[in-house]
Amino acid sequence: MLTLILRRVGFMLFTMLVVSLVLFLLLDTELAGDPATRVLGQFASEHQKELWREEHGYNRPVMVRYFDWVGSFVTGDLGISNRYRAPVAEVLWPRLWNTAILGFWTFALIIPISLVFGILSGMREGSVLDRSLSVTGILTTSVPEFASAVFFSSVFVFGLQWLPGTSGMTDGFDPVQLILPVMVLVVYDFGYVARMTRASMAEVMTAQYIRTAVLKGLAYKTVILRHALRNALIAPFTVIMLQINWLLSGVIVVEFYFAYKGFGALLLEASLNNDVALLEACAMIAVAVAVGTQTLADIGYTILNPRIRFS
Amino acid sequence: MSSKDDQFSPGRVHPGVQTMQDQLLRGKCSRREFLRTVTLLGLSAPAAYGLAGRLLGEKLVPPAVTPAHAQSGGLLRFGMFVQEMTDPATFDWVERSVVARHIVEYMTLTGPDNVTRPYLAERWQPSDDLKTWRFFLRKGIKWSNGDDFNADDVVFNFTRWCDPKTGSSNLGLFSAMLEDTGQNDSAGKPIKRMTPGAVRKVDDHTVEIRLNSPVLSIPENLYNYPTAIVHRNFERDGGDLSKNPVGTGPYMLDLFKLGEVAVLKKRPEPYWGGDVSLDEIRIIDLGADEGATLAALASGQIDSMYELKLTTVEAAKNIPNVSIQQVATAKTGVIRMNLAHKPFDDKRVRRAIQMCCDSDRQLKIAHKGFGIVGEHVHVASIHPEYFKLPKFNQDIEGAKKLLAKAGYPNGLSVSCNVGNTDGTWEQDSIAVLKQDAAKAGIDISINVMPSAKYWDEWATAPFSLTSWTHRPLGTMVLSLAYRAGVPWNETSYNNPAFDRALTAAEGVFDVEKRRAKMEKVEQILQDDAIMVQPFFRSVFVAVSNRVRNFSIHPTLYHRFHNVRVG
Repeated sequence: MLTLILRRVGFMLFTMLVVSLVLFLLLDTELAGDPATRVLGQFASEHQKELWREEHGYNRPVMVRYFDWVGSFVTGDLGISNRYRAPVAEVLWPRLWNTAILGFWTFALIIPISLVFGILSGMREGSVLDRSLSVTGILTTSVPEFASAVFFSSVFVFGLQWLPGTSGMTDGFDPVQLILPVMVLVVYDFGYVARMTRASMAEVMTAQYIRTAVLKGLAYKTVILRHALRNALIAPFTVIMLQINWLLSGVIVVEFYFAYKGFGALLLEASLNNDVALLEACAMIAVAVAVGTQTLADIGYTILNPRIRFS
Repeated sequence: MSSKDDQFSPGRVHPGVQTMQDQLLRGKCSRREFLRTVTLLGLSAPAAYGLAGRLLGEKLVPPAVTPAHAQSGGLLRFGMFVQEMTDPATFDWVERSVVARHIVEYMTLTGPDNVTRPYLAERWQPSDDLKTWRFFLRKGIKWSNGDDFNADDVVFNFTRWCDPKTGSSNLGLFSAMLEDTGQNDSAGKPIKRMTPGAVRKVDDHTVEIRLNSPVLSIPENLYNYPTAIVHRNFERDGGDLSKNPVGTGPYMLDLFKLGEVAVLKKRPEPYWGGDVSLDEIRIIDLGADEGATLAALASGQIDSMYELKLTTVEAAKNIPNVSIQQVATAKTGVIRMNLAHKPFDDKRVRRAIQMCCDSDRQLKIAHKGFGIVGEHVHVASIHPEYFKLPKFNQDIEGAKKLLAKAGYPNGLSVSCNVGNTDGTWEQDSIAVLKQDAAKAGIDISINVMPSAKYWDEWATAPFSLTSWTHRPLGTMVLSLAYRAGVPWNETSYNNPAFDRALTAAEGVFDVEKRRAKMEKVEQILQDDAIMVQPFFRSVFVAVSNRVRNFSIHPTLYHRFHNVRVG
């Protein structure tokens, strides 16, 4: 297992290194236009641009600059944001924390709801509950977040006037302001996870060893909890891990709509404002989360299903 | 003509005021034009209103723009972008000035009635030829760091505005204070510098400005949003207002988080301009989504906003306890062509594109009919010096002929940038032009860009729609945008005849004569066909009924000194 973990982590680091090189070449070299013009603006004179390039080391060879950037990044120096005129770390971490809060409450609801309904449906394939879950799941998953955000706003903000319309948290943390963005994310995603769980559970329930256990006279509860669940949870576990990845990018729409000051909105701002240092840092964080969750999924998959070995 | 010093003697009234009185009595100018002009000539707003009332036999009361000594207290929550607020001289978004306007102040104040009043300047006096202006500063005003406000501050600001290195758009506004250096920059634009002696300190509280040519609008120019007066040590102290918010205004910057929130709190010491009501102003950034602003208003998270976008006006009408204010303005979208790029270096091509435009249809479709039809000259009928040119009609056949003469008998394809920086009406305006131009064989592809990206290249793009804000005088915006070599000249337009005609119009206070001079200015601009400018648009703001004394300003220069909440 230790070898597996080390190999997966090694692969993760290698992936990140390759992505970092691609990102650097795309964002921080002449490929994406003159960095000096991006920072100083179109009205800057050539002399000013040259001074800026010299001051910021842009006259050095690209690969020297790349390794310098990677070295700084690894030691926590993420550069200076053009837009915020502050260290990227000062801007990035609070925003990432806000998205982590949003993500935590989203998963805190998605996981139990999806697993409970998915397992119950899978246990009684074809039942009313199963059919209802399928229809509901398809319906909610097929409605994009921006549409459900408008729908929930029209009901709870403009109609019933129960909830605040935006989630800027400018007066400090307010859990009520989290309700609508979490609701939108949960409604969009729970159907998918529930249906995956249901499919996995239904498949397990038809397996020979479950039938054997039932015929052997084991209590139904014992069959489900001790034999079916562990195998049925392998697929949902992978799906849930991938949803963390989805959340980081998918949350952009929700954060934009509800003016929530999170990582997704920051990523959008960075790209719209040509803030290269911030964009690089956001992209690297997104890549780290993607490969990190994938690695965790691989390791967890192996633990849940000992028959699988990566060699 | 009296001697120069006599012209600035206390109590002397500019001879132009008498001319304006005669014109008002003879019905040659409107009451509004009278008020605007005589206040620019140095008459105070109450005196101007009083004089107009006496002449017309009416009781006229100027709208309150100074604090009403109302009940103190209250928090105003205002939805608006919280943008970088570094140097007021280089502001290029009005939103930046809304936060700054409560910290730093202006020499003059142009109210919602477009009448200019004293502010940091207690009064001003122009010379008879309008080439020398003296501004008499208020005494007893203190900066928030304890320093006295004096003439050194004003001289410092004028000097840096007129220094090309500052990069301020004010360079265009105060072009009569500049002289050519004889050199061009890398883009071929002439480099200018301030004429020696153009600004001088007469005494601690008097500043004199000397112009190369007469300009009437100097007091009005001094309320243009990038002309806030910063402390004389602004640059030495870092040159960043958000980090070192020293001002003369009634509020101090308590918190500034770019893209999130800006909090202004009332300064503890008495404000020189009287007591202001609000204890706190909280500017909340709700992002670019118009729906978010509306939702925040509906749920009581904000009390008002910078601007209610056209697409949300109907929805806002259904929100209880909210009222909507509307004002006709000279805000507009200019579909401008950059003469430095082919095929726009050919006047026939530009003219052909212009001739494809149906301005009435543009206004009706792109802005739902809320606004005033334009004539491709960037001067609106609400500007006092506006001269009505013959109606510019769509002429598709004429456009085809011109294209053929220009070497495009089979039509041509061009790409037009649009950033929707002020709303999606911009994109709609291009789409309408695209439909009309297609009839003449011109294929316009629409390049929709993120607004920030748009501003990155707005001044250099070959063909694009730029949203321009309202200015009380047409000559102000023409000076900013179309004079040769000024920073915001996005068309690379360089026509000495136009510059001369504009200079001639700027220096005339007689409304009729100025209008006559504007005919030439507008005609040159229309004939040179550097833009398609189909309409001027009305703007809207939604305000919670909890808010009192909130009055929409046509420039959206929101100022909350007189606002109460509760």
